[in-house]
Amino acid sequence: MKRRILLGLALVFVIIQFIPVELPPPDPDRSGDLIGTGLANQEVAQLFKTSCYSCHSNETEYPWYSHVAPSSWLVARDVREGRDELNFSTWLKYDTTRMIRKLDDIASEVGEGNMPMPIYTLMHPSAKLTDEQRELIVAWTETAMDALVGEEEVEEN
Amino acid sequence: MKRLLFITCAALCGLLFFQGKPTEKPAPSPYLDAELPAEVKAVVDQKCYGCHNVNSKNEKGKAKLDWDALTKMKKAKRMAAMDEINEVLTEGEMPPKKFLENKPEGALTEAELATLLAWSSGKKKK
Repeated sequence: MKRRILLGLALVFVIIQFIPVELPPPDPDRSGDLIGTGLANQEVAQLFKTSCYSCHSNETEYPWYSHVAPSSWLVARDVREGRDELNFSTWLKYDTTRMIRKLDDIASEVGEGNMPMPIYTLMHPSAKLTDEQRELIVAWTETAMDALVGEEEVEEN
Repeated sequence: MKRLLFITCAALCGLLFFQGKPTEKPAPSPYLDAELPAEVKAVVDQKCYGCHNVNSKNEKGKAKLDWDALTKMKKAKRMAAMDEINEVLTEGEMPPKKFLENKPEGALTEAELATLLAWSSGKKKK
């Protein structure tokens, strides 16, 4: 009886491997990246790279389990939704108002501890942010937002 | 005996006023006057402010957006909030479908929507 259940599970596992899943492809183009703009200082840029860029940029590095169902489905969805919500690789495509909005969203998501997602830091412990690192990011967003407001006012005049 | 009946009836009638949703609109915000263009304020007062104000009983609405706070925010925060307003309106998420089921007259007319979109996009009229 036990053997039959195990055999059944193994069979299901093999079958689900054939369900197509599309991992959003990495893209080496860095021309529109936030980190090239000088808005983020090196410390913040480094935090973003280690804690956010896997999902919120086109530089996704896919671990082995992202090629195996069912975890591949979860990874594909999270990366797709992550890029859709905020993509640091195409930062320059946002207009100034949208950049300010994204910074404000970063402040609340990171400040309130919603991001990085717990399931992500479970698999990537090095992506965990300490309270100090969170504060650093939130403080930076405020400076960066003010800088962008200043830029826009210059453009208007 | 008659008197008791009368009091009961009066009490029941009185209860009617406690039932259902508050029909009274909150007083228009004093802050909106100074900060918003008149045509925008008119729409906001009528179609948004009921849920999105500092004393709102709609906790979710209040947490997401509070017009009283919006007008007092510093510029960067206000721009971020306006961008979100613009997105939510563009995607037709506000006023909520559920809300409109009970109150179809709460829907934005095309002209009202256009007014809010133009304002929230932050683009100055040329």
